[in-house]
Amino acid sequence: MNDLILSLHRLIDMGMTMAEELGTPEIILAAVFYVFAGISVLGALGVVLGRNIVHSALCLTASFIGIGCLYIFLSADFLGAVQFLVYGGAVAILIVMAIMLTRREDMAHSNPSRSIPHQLAALVVAGMFLLAMAAVALMSPFQTAPADIGDTVTGIADLMLTKYVLPFEIVAVLLLIAMIGAIILAKGVDES
Amino acid sequence: MNFLAIGTEIAIALLMLIVLAADLLLPKDVSHRRIGVISMVGLAVILVYTFGQYHIGASPTFFGGLFFVDNYALFFKQLFIIGMLFTILFSLEYTEKLLRYRGEFYVLLLSALLGMCVMASANDFITTFVGLELMTVSFYILVGARMTSEDSSEAAVKYLIVGAASTAVMLYGMSLVYGAAGSLVFSEVCRNIHLFYAAGLAGVIMVIIGFFFKLSVIPFHMWAPDVYQGAPTPVTALLAMGSKAAGIAVFMRILYTAFPILGNFWLPLLAGFAALCMIGGNIMAIRQTDIKRMLAYSSIAQAGYMMVGMAAADLAGMKAVLFYAMLYVFANLGAFAVLTVIDTERGGTSRRDITGLAQAAPLLAAVMTISLLSMAGIPPTAGFAGKLYLFTAVVERGYLWLAFVGFVMSMISVYYYLMVAKAMYRDLTPEEAEYAAPVYVPLTVRAAVLVSVFATLGLGICPEWLASLTNAAVQTFMR
Amino acid sequence: MQVIIFRKGIFMGDFGGLGIFFAIALIFPVMALIPAFLLQPRQPTKEKGIPYECGVDTVGKTYVQYRIGYFLYALIFVVFDIETVFLYPWAVRFGQLGLFALLEMFVFVGILAMGLWYAWKKGALSWK
Repeated sequence: MNDLILSLHRLIDMGMTMAEELGTPEIILAAVFYVFAGISVLGALGVVLGRNIVHSALCLTASFIGIGCLYIFLSADFLGAVQFLVYGGAVAILIVMAIMLTRREDMAHSNPSRSIPHQLAALVVAGMFLLAMAAVALMSPFQTAPADIGDTVTGIADLMLTKYVLPFEIVAVLLLIAMIGAIILAKGVDES
Repeated sequence: MNFLAIGTEIAIALLMLIVLAADLLLPKDVSHRRIGVISMVGLAVILVYTFGQYHIGASPTFFGGLFFVDNYALFFKQLFIIGMLFTILFSLEYTEKLLRYRGEFYVLLLSALLGMCVMASANDFITTFVGLELMTVSFYILVGARMTSEDSSEAAVKYLIVGAASTAVMLYGMSLVYGAAGSLVFSEVCRNIHLFYAAGLAGVIMVIIGFFFKLSVIPFHMWAPDVYQGAPTPVTALLAMGSKAAGIAVFMRILYTAFPILGNFWLPLLAGFAALCMIGGNIMAIRQTDIKRMLAYSSIAQAGYMMVGMAAADLAGMKAVLFYAMLYVFANLGAFAVLTVIDTERGGTSRRDITGLAQAAPLLAAVMTISLLSMAGIPPTAGFAGKLYLFTAVVERGYLWLAFVGFVMSMISVYYYLMVAKAMYRDLTPEEAEYAAPVYVPLTVRAAVLVSVFATLGLGICPEWLASLTNAAVQTFMR
Repeated sequence: MQVIIFRKGIFMGDFGGLGIFFAIALIFPVMALIPAFLLQPRQPTKEKGIPYECGVDTVGKTYVQYRIGYFLYALIFVVFDIETVFLYPWAVRFGQLGLFALLEMFVFVGILAMGLWYAWKKGALSWK
């Protein structure tokens, strides 16, 4: 009985090693990538095309979350967590609140679509940018990072608190200034 | 760890926190002039301290070359501090009368200064970006500081949107450069051959475009006139001299130390845009009737002149840019000090508002004229010496046509600068008799304009004083 | 027994398992909703169509203008949210980085504490 369980465990471990050597099938990786990329791109399109600005805000949040998933997919787990925490959480709330601050009777047409020439212009510009970036991506031999880069938080902490200590402290000043600015601009509106 | 290297930044940050604390501790209805005085005294001490940091040998660095305190950076830091010091001096009255959040105004000015100083010394893209953001975020708020004015709020929103878009472009460029070169430090990016691949080139172009936005180079200038016109007048002064000089300081460092191997790509680009700026800025300035708006277009042209020196890409060109940036600060100080008084007393800065200034305040009219002539480059003002340095530097590198464009456009610019002088000095018709009434000029403004005029004329007659300083500044560039 | 797919190395390491967990978790509500959608009798009335607001009849417009006070709280929240982003890596590593990192973080938090003092003093935190 004991022998049986031992050999079972050995087989399980062997399976693990085999699976690790095989890695994840490419098709699954591709599928996961396209799902996340699709969420972010469709979300972004929804922001621009939506008629109702509240729906646009929701689409923006979906886009943020898609991008956060992409970060995690790329093993940048800390960046992904930040994306969820700051963008998916705080910024989304901020945007919805900013919308609620405006005074309007009906939200149905709060995000008016532009005339045809405007849309064409946007399409042309976006298309040109897309083409240029696609060409850039195809023409440059990017070096690929190793698949498993491990724990990213440690690396970020080490860099941030030693090499990049000056930018780190300047960020504190930046946050302080942002807070003061937010308060005087918001209160300025309130009082006048 | 060399904390002396970041002494200036630490001092400015401390001063900012002290001013913030003073504002919080001071009762609400008390005059906030004393806070302005605290900031000025602090800045004066820091200015004296920076003179002691000039050196001959190797430059001090902070954290292995990420932050470079060479004489070049010191020169720009002094330029920012001088600009900020005198702006606070001539805007004491304006702040007290027209702004609601007076203590915060000084805090934001100092934080913008901190951002500029960080930019001047930055030697990697992260430090550059953080410094740039600190400066621009402070300016977003400062531009909207006149709560009661709709123009000010509109300008702030426009500046925010265009600024955020340009920041996004620049950041995307930086990430592409990082992807191609594998480093964020300028000197390491420079040695990487991968910069020549499409991703590297696209990154470099985007970084350059981002800076063109910040420097309001034509055709990326559309935000500048509205923002300059709507912002509170002292803030416009700082946008024109401080923000622009900080952009040029870091732009020049990036081009010369991070992307020199791509020089054949960006040098013609720089020369072309310099010409475009000089032509477009000067021609569009002619039709303006608001003086702040006119100075916005004029500042586009001035950025063009400075880019002429950058296109020379040698020590003489750098020296000329540094010299010009400094004299432009003094010319701007004079012009905007006058405009600030006009804005406070007459409630506007259009050409009509300065009518008869020669009778109302002869000192101010004289200062305005001298400052504008310096911007136009008429001898014996400093502007003439500055343009001479710029154009000779670029002619020696073979860009004769560029110097020619610059020369012709300077001549054209005299026209609209003199239109302002004409408005101030012409005889008043009987209906305009009210404009002859004396304008109250505070003592602080008198001091500020006198310093600016003495500097403008002094540097025009003896440019060697400043030239020796610029010489010291470029000699230790990145060494 | 171990569940193999949760082990590192397959399906993108730790997060692969999380992904599968989410995918399976998504199936359950969908399984509950789709049959309900197909089987439900539809007899809409006006009463049923109005939004549910704690069981009480809704009053007024759905979208009202909020006070700026809410927004001020949200803004300050974002600032401190970002502070957390910077605090987190430090908290993970401060044991190894030592005293200097501790001082750095004190400076960082100190600067932001000035912001909190400012907000407090200027009445951004009080509810009027």
